[in-house]
Amino acid sequence: MMRKLFLLATVLFWAVVLGLWLLARSAPMSEPPLPLAEKTYALTEVARHGAENDCWMAIDGQVYDLTGYLPEHPSKPSIILPWCGREASDAYRTKTKGRAHSPAADQLLPAYRIGRLLAE
Amino acid sequence: MKLPRLLSIPLLTAILLGLPVVWAWPAGLPLWRSLGIVLGWAGCGLLLASLLLMLRESWLAERLGGLERMYAWHHVLGTLAYLLLLAHPLALAVDNLAESPALAWALVSPLTQGWPLWFGWLGLLCLMLGMVASFSRRLPYPLWRGLHALLAVAILFGCLHLWLLGLGPSFFFMLLLSLLFLGWRFLRIDSSLAARPYLVSQVQRVAADIVEIALRPLGMPITARPGQFVLVGFGDGDTFRGCGECHPYTICAVDPEGHLRISIKALGDCTRHLQTVEIGVPVGVQGPFGDFLLDRPPLPQFWLAGGIGLTPFLAVLRDERLMQPTQLFYFYRRPEDGAYVEELRTLAARQPSLTLHVHCGDFNAATLAGLLPDSAALAGRIAFLCGPPGLLGSTAEILGQRGMAPASIHFECFDFR
Repeated sequence: MMRKLFLLATVLFWAVVLGLWLLARSAPMSEPPLPLAEKTYALTEVARHGAENDCWMAIDGQVYDLTGYLPEHPSKPSIILPWCGREASDAYRTKTKGRAHSPAADQLLPAYRIGRLLAE
Repeated sequence: MKLPRLLSIPLLTAILLGLPVVWAWPAGLPLWRSLGIVLGWAGCGLLLASLLLMLRESWLAERLGGLERMYAWHHVLGTLAYLLLLAHPLALAVDNLAESPALAWALVSPLTQGWPLWFGWLGLLCLMLGMVASFSRRLPYPLWRGLHALLAVAILFGCLHLWLLGLGPSFFFMLLLSLLFLGWRFLRIDSSLAARPYLVSQVQRVAADIVEIALRPLGMPITARPGQFVLVGFGDGDTFRGCGECHPYTICAVDPEGHLRISIKALGDCTRHLQTVEIGVPVGVQGPFGDFLLDRPPLPQFWLAGGIGLTPFLAVLRDERLMQPTQLFYFYRRPEDGAYVEELRTLAARQPSLTLHVHCGDFNAATLAGLLPDSAALAGRIAFLCGPPGLLGSTAEILGQRGMAPASIHFECFDFR
């Protein structure tokens, strides 16, 4: 019985993975709509949003409102929360002992972009 | 089985499953994401419980209801852990599906991920390959064992997956227990640190493919009772080379100085090679294990042995005077396979309570039904069966049809793969 369960689960797993791939191919990810008039924010403005329920970050010259994403971040809150309201490019690029975030994270980030960082 | 032993494995499993799940219990997350997290941690917990149950220590086996029970649970928990860990990334992907199919695919696709997810994938693939080996009965034992070890590699990859995701405390919990269980297994069991040293002191051929080997203790002997079994690994002698494997053998005699006798039938490459073992070969003995025929209730007995399955009954007959009326049915295939027939007849002549029935030939359910006692002769008896699975299955079915309750039928079957 365990053998049958194993075979069934393995086949189902690969079928779902294949299904996800086919779905992604047939419906490519749409780019998030850019605001008509792009806003710019100074770092002092970003710093006003440094809480768990209002978390902005500046990463590589762009400003992101990550409040809605915080609960979904894979690591514990103590890892990401200190970067709310701050310039977090280095942290983004040097996650886990110098390693950058994955391309999947790069794909996610534009969905939370709210504007450009004002050069100081 | 007494209640504490019966509950021991479920309780340990509940603790190892519950601790990580409670620690990582998600709050305020969408349903599929929460499910994905819980599935991952529950899979880790079950995997740890499965690891604990592969520790072949006689004191542990005694507390957990026996080695066979431990291995049965090891298989079930390992398979369930695999199912949950397969479902873990899929549930997380489904969470992204509502937003966009491309995002859902990005979460499981190795092409768009970094090291944290690559280690997750590597762990899952090692688990898959190791499980394929576990369920394959046709692989040669050394290859089977090597592929089965991939399951340990899968656990280490899983720990790296947790570490790179930044899940520090849980990573240490998993790593500590995994290393403890894997190290224990490797050092104590696989490297034979738990084995007591013995020496082959006598080799006697008792049938065409069966040798009886006497083992002399070189230090403190194990305390075994007739009918129990031990795990034995043979080393190198002057000309004999051990096969580097450890297999279970029933003790067919224990003498007061702690000498053990085991019978080995040529059933595979290693046991065929052991037919040529020589006196003086060093041996590592782990155990004893099992409680088949120990503490038998004071009821008339029905014993059935198939081939090498005779050994636990022989051990009891050699050791004690039977107090209860006992029928022993001994089946073997060819005349040259009939080990110990003369000795059994001598023992039966000395044991007034024993009735011996020896049958040689090919048996199926129909021929067995004609040879086994009828309902009246079986009434009030308790049955002990040891032999090949086919023979045991047919016999149990016939005994059931003749009114014997399942609780009155006891089996001994080695199945440690």
